[in-house]
Amino acid sequence: MRKILGLTLAAMLLAATTACSGGNNGKPATGSSDTAEPSVDQVELRIMWWGDQKRADKTNEALRKFEEKYPNIKVVGEFAPNSGYFDKLNTQLASGTAPDVFFLGGNVTDYADKGVLLDLQPYVGKELDLTDMDQTMVEYGTLGGKLVHISAGANARGMVINTELFKKAGMDIPADGWSWEDYARISKEISEKLGKGYYGTYNFTVEGMDIYMKQRGKQVYDMEKDALGFEQQDAEDWFNYWNDMSKNGGMVTPSLQVSNPPGDTSKSLVVTGKVAMSLIPSNQFAAHQNLIQDTLTMVQVPRGPKGTGVVFESSQGLSGYAKTEHPKEVATLMNYWINDPDAAQILGSDRGVPVTSKMRDLLMKDATPLEQTVYDFTSRVSEATKKEPFSISYNPPSFTEFTKLAETAVQEIGFEQKDVKQGVEDFYKGATQIFGSK
Amino acid sequence: MKTAHKSALWRRSGTAYLFLLPWLIGFFGLTLGPMLGSFYLSLTKYNLLNAPVWLGFDNYRHIFTADEYFYKSLTVTFKYVLFSVPLKMAFALLVAVVLNKGIRALGIYRTVYYIPSLLGGSVAIAIVWRQIFDGEGLINHFLSWFGIEGPAWIAHPSYILSTIVTLSVWQFGSAMVIFLAGIKQIPADLYEAAQVDGAGKLRQFGKITLPMLSPVIFFNLVMGIINSFQVFTPGYVIGDGRGGPVNSTLFYTLYLYLKGFSFFDMGYAAALAWIMLIIIGLFTSIVFVTSRFWVFYGDGKDGR
Repeated sequence: MRKILGLTLAAMLLAATTACSGGNNGKPATGSSDTAEPSVDQVELRIMWWGDQKRADKTNEALRKFEEKYPNIKVVGEFAPNSGYFDKLNTQLASGTAPDVFFLGGNVTDYADKGVLLDLQPYVGKELDLTDMDQTMVEYGTLGGKLVHISAGANARGMVINTELFKKAGMDIPADGWSWEDYARISKEISEKLGKGYYGTYNFTVEGMDIYMKQRGKQVYDMEKDALGFEQQDAEDWFNYWNDMSKNGGMVTPSLQVSNPPGDTSKSLVVTGKVAMSLIPSNQFAAHQNLIQDTLTMVQVPRGPKGTGVVFESSQGLSGYAKTEHPKEVATLMNYWINDPDAAQILGSDRGVPVTSKMRDLLMKDATPLEQTVYDFTSRVSEATKKEPFSISYNPPSFTEFTKLAETAVQEIGFEQKDVKQGVEDFYKGATQIFGSK
Repeated sequence: MKTAHKSALWRRSGTAYLFLLPWLIGFFGLTLGPMLGSFYLSLTKYNLLNAPVWLGFDNYRHIFTADEYFYKSLTVTFKYVLFSVPLKMAFALLVAVVLNKGIRALGIYRTVYYIPSLLGGSVAIAIVWRQIFDGEGLINHFLSWFGIEGPAWIAHPSYILSTIVTLSVWQFGSAMVIFLAGIKQIPADLYEAAQVDGAGKLRQFGKITLPMLSPVIFFNLVMGIINSFQVFTPGYVIGDGRGGPVNSTLFYTLYLYLKGFSFFDMGYAAALAWIMLIIIGLFTSIVFVTSRFWVFYGDGKDGR
């Protein structure tokens, strides 16, 4: 018995050692055959983005095309839905296993502050050609004197309007230049005319807060002073506006807003034709229109004292991981993303309008009616900001925490657990703490 | 003589340790390191991406003195534990008693009822739950037949927790299987004797089944408490993943997760984790201490 055991053990040991040596012999062999050829070493890059399946399909197609053009670079793509994306990225960054390239939005500052982003400056003019890129976009990606972010598309927020519902209600489709009073009145009117189950607008107290503050010449977060950029009274006015709307009718009920959040196109009531108007980023227009028969259109945000407060700005972009082993290839991939006509054709304007003028002209040349709506809208926004300029803005640091706080305040008021005054007071106190504790 | 005795003892407990080995390897090789690591992190300011900075007990101080969310999340979690554990156990016991009444194809029923507890923690089921309890979901559709307009179960802060408790009660399977095994262990002659003495079913249940089953109840209670305190998935999936609406799904673990992975405060999250460990330990030991008054071991070892 003991003998048999010993024999099997010996056999296993032997098998293990031969397997090991086999592996060792194998590796250098393939390596040397590679270097024997004139081509450069095979490099593998990982890239991660957020979004739905449709975006994933397009992105993967663009990546395959990239591999065709640069046969020495293999790109592995990963994606996650919006909600879990940043948690996933943060975990990978913490464990040092982050992808070489990943997408970031307005929260790029959070990551730039922590020094995890690759400085792309050394590659500009070589692997990375920025001559054709809008200067504002280059500035947007330059933080703390380093180029850490390459915008992959620009957008502007605006109101998505369901024209069919307006027709049914026998009302005129709103036009640029309307005010917040108009907005409340129209919301109320259309929901009354269409009857039960139809609503004028979603509640976008949180998503529209920065716009409202800019319209008053303030801002949510003052980057230079590193503090809140508005007074409690400003927030109270804004929350009151929405609370009145909720009382007078025309707004989606708080429970429906929770079960069918506007940001999720698979559940949004805009997509099911129950809500006539809402605030969306222009690059999301196609995602909405593709899911609904009714014709949608886009109108500029209602005006405040200083204008619309909306800027045509980067919607999201690419950043490299500071610890990547292949910074050159990272730059090459980014260059492909913004300058290659094939990439532009495949990716379209799903992440926003292209940020290089040549690619933008290319896409506009044969734009579908749907895309045309978006281009029309964004050019109107660009025109408007020439007359009434607003500075671009990044998300404040600790933005997720701030958003959670603001959403809680909105819900507390919506579900009548607090009145506006109390809700805003707590919100303002919390916000001061969040930005103060950085 | 002494050595012989010793080796016999060793052989007996040696076997036990051999069976424990996988767990021991797992604990010392995988769990212990990260646990100590997290204790160290709980004493630091650690934003996940830069090196941790030593703070001492500041995190703990802040949690107890200045963190509203901490108390809020504790309240939500306690509420959940308070409702889900007893309900789930009562339900499991009820079904076990019914199944024990000699139903045909017991194996099938046992399996069918057990399946939910295998699936229950999964994201897929939580999503199904969302659909069932949605404002226009199955439940409200059913209620509308009787002219009742049901509320938005998963979207209203007053109802969402009860929806989640229902989900946990629905996963009564594993507790039920253990109860069922326990009931089968109770000698039939006890019931026969009781019957002869003229005890009714209810009385038999109270005087025989429950006491004889108390070790099993004890086990299920401990496991139930430990598991319920760590509830995460339903809050994350059925709620909005951020504790909403109005923090009504902000379970302790969810808050910990948000702090660590979304708000870049892993040191703080680690401190929260240690507090949770202590809370769970406290509750488990309360159950253990009181167990001597209500757990009856039929093997004559009670009163130890």
